[in-house]
Amino acid sequence: MFHTTFYVRRLHSLCGLFVLGMVLFEHIFTNSMAILGPEALNGALEMMELIPKPIFMGLEIGGIAIPLLFHAIYGIYIALQANNNPGRFGYLRNWNFALQRWTAWFLVAFLIWHVGYLRFYIKGVTGTPISWELLYNYFQNPLVVILYVLGMFAAIFHFCNGITTFCMTWGITKGPRSQNVISWISMGLCAVLCLITLTFMGSYIVR
Amino acid sequence: MAEKKVRFVIERQDGPNDKPYIQEFDVDWRPSLNVVAALMEIQKNPVTVDGKRVPPVVWECNCLEKVCGACMMVINGKARQACCALIDELKQPIELKPARTFPVIRDLLIDRTRMFEALKKIQGWIELDGSFESKEAPIQNPYTAQTAYEISHCMTCGCCLEACPNVGPQSDFIGPAPTVQAYLFNLHPLGKFDAPKRLNALMEKGGITSCGNSQNCVEVCPKSIKLTTYLAQLNRDVNIQALKNIFDN
Repeated sequence: MFHTTFYVRRLHSLCGLFVLGMVLFEHIFTNSMAILGPEALNGALEMMELIPKPIFMGLEIGGIAIPLLFHAIYGIYIALQANNNPGRFGYLRNWNFALQRWTAWFLVAFLIWHVGYLRFYIKGVTGTPISWELLYNYFQNPLVVILYVLGMFAAIFHFCNGITTFCMTWGITKGPRSQNVISWISMGLCAVLCLITLTFMGSYIVR
Repeated sequence: MAEKKVRFVIERQDGPNDKPYIQEFDVDWRPSLNVVAALMEIQKNPVTVDGKRVPPVVWECNCLEKVCGACMMVINGKARQACCALIDELKQPIELKPARTFPVIRDLLIDRTRMFEALKKIQGWIELDGSFESKEAPIQNPYTAQTAYEISHCMTCGCCLEACPNVGPQSDFIGPAPTVQAYLFNLHPLGKFDAPKRLNALMEKGGITSCGNSQNCVEVCPKSIKLTTYLAQLNRDVNIQALKNIFDN
């Protein structure tokens, strides 16, 4: 008896919180350098260029591409098993349940666009390194800015609500009190990360 | 004296594969009237508000005191027991619908077989090794007896399955009620010997991993069973069981 479903589900949970959580934090950390100015962001991006190419590629494939594809594809399968009903049962956790799935759908589309354009087309095909100047020009289009802010908000909410449900799924928080405490802490983290995002995105516009 | 009327908007269906349709009925108001009593009035005189005589509305009820679970239906959008749904506490007109998470047999009557099948999957019984004189019977753990008593109140009414977004034709989740029953039988002084069997069953497709933590179940449970607490406990137990499965051999 090998419980494939069980292990795949648990792997989906671990991969989302730890691996993709790291990816999200790396993005927020590096991009928040833009708050300090163009030189700071370019400096941080050049620091990453110092990582030897094979190791960097390995990290991109093993640490981002594979976990992201697995989490997204299996996540789509999970999302399809839900019949979201916050309209009928409008409890907070049920709204979060539905939002977890709606943000997931948005992120699938957003990440195809984000990775496809910036990583594959700009960095891969044209060979242009990502820099503050490139992003500044990219963010002259208000639609791009809005979609990027929404994409970040979706990812941050999905991650933070994921902390709450991770603690339930792994049996860490059992009773309603501990579940509520974790929920408030993760929603606090969600608010902080969203504010940081607004600040560094805003730094391209308000200069 | 002009009598006060209560308007019912009922979603009806003639057979399992027939199309649902809506009919409205008026029932004379009386003190402490509940939905089951009102349905009995409609049964006595099944005439719609347009004066058309129709076949009486079919539904299921039994104990009339929120113990048996049979009269669960969707009342004003919420899954609940009809016998304890007091008219004076409901917004009118009152909408009655069958709980469509389950196959509808006719009108408000549904087929709950899937919950029984789920209880078979999780071994929702005790393998009794003979019977005992009461003084010789193994005692319940006094520290968990309250919890066991609470979970034993589950009447397989199906409110939690109706409210759960992960239960339905799109998913194979057995639902909160049968899942949590595994914990009840794992707490039993004899049932605990089969705990690994039940936990392994919960690891199967459609078991506890299908829970998406929407926590609707605990909100709608008419017996106030702390379903999410026991689901989290079972998650813990299942994770430990998985480690045992990996490392014991």
